[in-house]
Amino acid sequence: MQKKNLFNVQLFLKFTPAIAVALTILIPIDGFATQLHASSEGIITHQMGHLFFLSSMVTLIFTITGKGLNKQKGWRLIQYSAFFFILWNLDAIAAHFFDNQIHAVKIENISLLKIKIITNNDSFILALCYYILKLDHLLCVPAMLFLYKGLSNLVDTQKQRITEKESS
Amino acid sequence: MIASFIPILTVDVIGSVAMIIIALLSLYKAKLLRELDPDNAVFLYLIWISTGFTIFAVSRSFGHILRQFLILTGNPDVWHTISPYSGSVNTASFMLVGLVTLFFNQSWNINEKILSSRKKLETTHVKLMDLNQTLELKVIERTERLTSIEHKSRRIFEQSLDTILVTDSSFNMKEINPAGVDLTGYDRDEMLVEPMKFQDFFASSSEWSRIKKLIEQNEYILNEEADFLRPDKSTILVLITGGVDYGAFGCDKTYHFIIKNINDRRQMEQQIIQADKLAALGELSAGVAHEINNPLGIILGYTQLVLKEEPKHRGDLKIIEKHVKNCQAVVSDLLSFSRKGSTQKTNIDINTMVKNVIDFLSNHSDFRNVDINYHFNTDTYLSITGNEQEMGQVIMNLVINACHAVDGHGNITISTGTENELISITIEDNGKGIEKKDLSKIFDPFFTTKPVGQGTGLGLSVGYGIVKRHGGDIVVKSQPGKGTVFIITLPKVLPKTLS
Repeated sequence: MQKKNLFNVQLFLKFTPAIAVALTILIPIDGFATQLHASSEGIITHQMGHLFFLSSMVTLIFTITGKGLNKQKGWRLIQYSAFFFILWNLDAIAAHFFDNQIHAVKIENISLLKIKIITNNDSFILALCYYILKLDHLLCVPAMLFLYKGLSNLVDTQKQRITEKESS
Repeated sequence: MIASFIPILTVDVIGSVAMIIIALLSLYKAKLLRELDPDNAVFLYLIWISTGFTIFAVSRSFGHILRQFLILTGNPDVWHTISPYSGSVNTASFMLVGLVTLFFNQSWNINEKILSSRKKLETTHVKLMDLNQTLELKVIERTERLTSIEHKSRRIFEQSLDTILVTDSSFNMKEINPAGVDLTGYDRDEMLVEPMKFQDFFASSSEWSRIKKLIEQNEYILNEEADFLRPDKSTILVLITGGVDYGAFGCDKTYHFIIKNINDRRQMEQQIIQADKLAALGELSAGVAHEINNPLGIILGYTQLVLKEEPKHRGDLKIIEKHVKNCQAVVSDLLSFSRKGSTQKTNIDINTMVKNVIDFLSNHSDFRNVDINYHFNTDTYLSITGNEQEMGQVIMNLVINACHAVDGHGNITISTGTENELISITIEDNGKGIEKKDLSKIFDPFFTTKPVGQGTGLGLSVGYGIVKRHGGDIVVKSQPGKGTVFIITLPKVLPKTLS
């Protein structure tokens, strides 16, 4: 029990710098103390967050493969989850790039059932791409589902191991 | 481009709800995993990552649902106010997930170390169990062996016919076996509770000093003879072997002794020596008597012839005749002792014979103040084959000796008995007894403790010769100042032989 607590404290200490950074950027008010920031800083930070998330998912995929865990179904499903999160990040980065970063696309609600996608040069392809990019849940929900399936499989495998150990 | 809002709205709302539900389910599974193996650091990592995804899913989905709700309800301005907060929380949440994900390697390494340590611990545990089991088996084996050895030692100690005795470094008694209790004659508790000292058993303190000196010099003694004094004041001759035991495992120094009772053996040896000596003396006496007897007969014949023809020397010749006859009596006794004389044997009723001797002697003036008691065994007919005159002479000699021993005032007890195929005649007196140094000589011809002229020293030797000639034995027990016992044993004539 002591060992478990110690372990949690160690992890907490490891996460402390990250949490501090997160709290700092969580409050989106002007930093009057030192300098003025342009409004585009918010979206760039958000995009960097996506890139960080994406790179961590890539790292996870390669780490799992590096440890040889991809031979187990559970960890393989977690790799699939990471892959879908990579796709989702790419989707989100692209969508944010068009609407928030370069302001090439804008949506107007015409009615409850219709929307109007306005592009800078009335590009239909851009509008269509943007429309598809807005359906990002089609990537993050499967990603989350693979994570769940992976964990479920790991639970089953662990239970099976315990049973075998007890029977032997 | 104008497009339908329904696909986006549907995917957004359903997707957001699904995200929350699946994220919570994932967190549940991760917790389940952790419960199955609480020491697994990778499973802890999965809890952290699932927690991160849940925070991410909740914040993001909540933001999306709120946005759709506010836009559809015509409050886009409210959304624009909330939007930066929602976006920031969303950014922080997936950055948190990304950050946690990067700790996989560290979690894995920690887990590997835990697993390695656990494996080493299990191996050590198995080895320890194995060692423990081996140790238990060895302990059981050793205990069984020790029990067996202890049992054997105890059995040797208890069953030994020789005395086994243990003392401490000051020679205080610590242990003695049943044979030792019989030998010493003391009560076991009396010896061990007080406790008695080893030297208390010795009849002579000089003997103990000698043995103690030997032990101190050599740390052992081997077959040392000594006399033990029993509580009834009788002594027994023993052979002592012993040594020092410095003990093991911090035990105190002790002395161990093995003591043999050689009293009976020594007595038997002495009897054999005595018998051999008397046999040799008998041969010598017979030869001497035979050679002297003939010249004595000639001397006596010529003396008597001269006595008839020379009356003027009658006095001198009578003295010669008297002394020659005395010499002939001595020669006759010597022949009786040496068993060379011929005798006529008949069946003798022992009780009658002994009674006749007592009746004859009791009238003698020497026995006037002597109390003669007799205890005859009349249950069976006690009969021997032999010469009644000779046997009567033996009994008479012994009773007269007893009378001399009590110095004319005392008790003489004569008893007869039978055991197995032997008849015993016991003559006991409460006189002055015989010195130990004289005991081995009393059956020697011409040995006497009486003043010169009062005895020839042939009485007991003649008696010995007669008893031996009758196939019997004669033994003497005496304690100076207390009295003497002569026991004659003779082969009994069985009723069948009598008929």
